[in-house]
Amino acid sequence: MPARTVLAAALLALCGAAQAQQPAVPSHLQNNLSMCIGCHGIAGYKTAYPHVYHVPKLGGQNPAYLVNALKAYRSGERNHPSMRGIAASLSDKDMEELAAYYGGPGK
Amino acid sequence: MNRFLAVAAALALAGTAHAAGNAENGKAKAAQVCAACHGAEGNKPTAPENPILAGQHQDYLVKALKDYKAGKRSNAIMKGFAATLSNQDMENLAAWFASQKSNLHFQR
Repeated sequence: MPARTVLAAALLALCGAAQAQQPAVPSHLQNNLSMCIGCHGIAGYKTAYPHVYHVPKLGGQNPAYLVNALKAYRSGERNHPSMRGIAASLSDKDMEELAAYYGGPGK
Repeated sequence: MNRFLAVAAALALAGTAHAAGNAENGKAKAAQVCAACHGAEGNKPTAPENPILAGQHQDYLVKALKDYKAGKRSNAIMKGFAATLSNQDMENLAAWFASQKSNLHFQR
């Protein structure tokens, strides 16, 4: 077997392994996640309005708590303006998927 | 000059470090008020609906407690507990929980 073929085969095998480690995120979840990442996906990010403080860490949080938090923003029981706007666009199922993505053991 | 700069930098850092909570005082208060639902270190909530507090950002924890007390965040249970806390208690509790270990982490 020519060396070049062996190299190509090895590279392909590596690609396969890399993909297997990172399970694909469904596109609708990826769309919803893009709203979270703008603030929660930046390490050390702070809110600018109406008060300045670090946005909470979500990774590893209890999923049931995260779902309740999103629902409370949607209903107005929690009142951060950006979070209210985002939660208003999410269905119950969206919230459960996002909570499952962030919650649980480290990724 | 170098020493002067170092002192100035240290003072500037101290200024931004927040009206420092005292974690040890927070630990004592947590045992009375928070532990039954969130765990003494804030890393073992007794129900899945209760958040993990250990390792959360200190300033976020203070903000949450103040919002509960002011009624800006509605939760009948937390409103009752937060109503009993002074601003200094909140700073102390936040310092305690933020410095405890848990699975909570930054995630994209």
